[in-house]
Amino acid sequence: MHRSFKDNQRVLTESGKSLNIVKFLGAGGQGEVYEVLYEGRRLALKWYFVQTGTDKQKSMIDKLIKSGKPDERFLWPMAIVNVKGKKSFGYLMPLRPSQFSNIVDLMKRRVEPSFDAVITACVQLADSFYKLHKMDLCYRDVSFGNFFFHARTGDILICDNDNVTASEITTAGVLGTPRFMAPEVVLGKSKPNISSDLFSLSILIFYMLMMHHPLEGKMEKNIKCFDLPAMTKLYGERPTFIYDPMNSSNRPVAGYHDNAIAFWPIYTERIRQLFIQTFTKGARMPSHRVSEKVWRDVLIELKNSITVCECGMENFYDIQKLKMNVHNRCWHCNRVLYPASRLKINNEVVILNLNTKLYGHHLMKQEKYRFKKVLAEVVPHPKLANYSGLKNLSHVPWRVTTKTGMQYSIDFGKSFTIEDGTKIEFGEVKGMIRKG
Amino acid sequence: MKMRPGGELATRPLEFIWLADCSISMRTHGKIEALNEAIRKSIPHMQEVAYENPNAQVYIRSIKFSSGASWHIEERTPVEDFTWTDLDVQGVTDLGAALRILKGALTVDQMSDRALPPVIVLVSDGQPTDDYKEALKELMEEPWAVKAVKIAIAIGRSANKRILKEFCGEQGIDVLSADNAETLVQYIKWVSTVVLQAASSPASTASGAQTMGINVSIPIIDEDFEDIETISIEDVW
Repeated sequence: MHRSFKDNQRVLTESGKSLNIVKFLGAGGQGEVYEVLYEGRRLALKWYFVQTGTDKQKSMIDKLIKSGKPDERFLWPMAIVNVKGKKSFGYLMPLRPSQFSNIVDLMKRRVEPSFDAVITACVQLADSFYKLHKMDLCYRDVSFGNFFFHARTGDILICDNDNVTASEITTAGVLGTPRFMAPEVVLGKSKPNISSDLFSLSILIFYMLMMHHPLEGKMEKNIKCFDLPAMTKLYGERPTFIYDPMNSSNRPVAGYHDNAIAFWPIYTERIRQLFIQTFTKGARMPSHRVSEKVWRDVLIELKNSITVCECGMENFYDIQKLKMNVHNRCWHCNRVLYPASRLKINNEVVILNLNTKLYGHHLMKQEKYRFKKVLAEVVPHPKLANYSGLKNLSHVPWRVTTKTGMQYSIDFGKSFTIEDGTKIEFGEVKGMIRKG
Repeated sequence: MKMRPGGELATRPLEFIWLADCSISMRTHGKIEALNEAIRKSIPHMQEVAYENPNAQVYIRSIKFSSGASWHIEERTPVEDFTWTDLDVQGVTDLGAALRILKGALTVDQMSDRALPPVIVLVSDGQPTDDYKEALKELMEEPWAVKAVKIAIAIGRSANKRILKEFCGEQGIDVLSADNAETLVQYIKWVSTVVLQAASSPASTASGAQTMGINVSIPIIDEDFEDIETISIEDVW
């Protein structure tokens, strides 16, 4: 028994094209993955084992190729490959760049991204799932192994897309990965669909933000042997959210679930409410699950609310708490956090810390939900120690009006001092600064 | 620098214990060399599985049995630090003595109060020479032994598969028969990767996929399951 191909092997596809196998990358339950050179491009080839490379699987891949990728974050099947003399088949997809980490690296703290990068990754996940579901496609198999992210930027990549099917398909494909499956799928009452995808997405977002599973509290602590029946009970029969406000029986236990205890109070009330909704009512009633769109909007709100403490650590500005005159304390140094300068723009509030960036999402209507183009950045004031400025990194001149009515234009590369009451016309959108 | 609070995702310990037959018959046809080689080769694969698994901390130990039994590697060694010391052969096949040592390791006192199902792998080429039945009965009085994933690999044709099946349990996984070194390597790799993964952090499950096991769902051995660098002993045992 050998690998299907050797490193540096040249093979001929049934269409008569040459395919160079560069090297073996790995093997999973369904097949092997190779780095290949095809028509001058470095790509990945997934090659199915004979048992898994069925006509049904081939037809599923063919449909995915025809439907096209939901967005560029999906490493989507590009073309089916048949090789002369081989029984099975494979498909080509883009190669994952090596600088992307997997979620296991995040869980094991082998990478240490900022809150901003983690939240950006969650925004992108929600956005990509929204686009996938809009095509009536269902991912089916959320797990740590299928998502990759860039620890500095938060950019994500979504792999293993060959299990994606139309949502209504109820017979074929994978059921999911334990710990990520919706309760009704764990219990065999339903096959994966868009609703169960939403539950799995919420689990992944919770893991990424809290470094913990949302259903693992006292009940998990009391389980001696964590086997299949125990998992079925915890994730299927009695899914009880660890912070269910109406049921405190499954709270996290100090010494066992310390991450949940450390992270939960740091985030904003809005985020906590979404988790409560999706893991309490949403666990029992799929229609109550938080949609990808809502996740995306509230996660952007959370990203905008990052407040950097004097000690340098990121915290969150919680407008709900501030309205009740409650000030958060820094999770790291315990200093009281007072509201920093903030920019009200469209319907969003962006906290202006040193180095905060404004993206296409904030300033360009057609770039909504995109965080690639940096169009503005908070920079230190060249002379005044306690002041900072907002630098224009776009090619659109800004019109700035101070509280006293003075007006001036800010071109590319120039900055204005961030002061209370300043109004800015950014071109397509208008904003106003609040301080104190 | 740590930019967020907390630590790693919480894990549970997983005990992986080898039970290796070191009777004199393991010398014939290079069986003991093949077993040493197979286990040594499986270590990087086990470490890889553990590296990619955020839910478990895997510890490995090993018991050897011949005329009597003793710990071969007594210390609970984290998989990332584990190295294999070659087994030697001598004497008969006192499986019962090995099961008594195993029972001592699986008592509620010895085990953590919260763990993943232990994985016990028994490898033997013969017929027990002591009162294994009583020892097995006593072993199965331990709750952790009942919960454990018990796998038996019969080496060669003279292994008593009926007795090995008793170890695995009626409802348990069927005895794996390794009739040559290559198959032994494959089975050792399978238990060190697929079974280890299934017991600690189950992977994606397919609709209608065949699995085995009661308290841990273990994928059946795929025909394509292979070892890339197979050892070259071709003797049929």
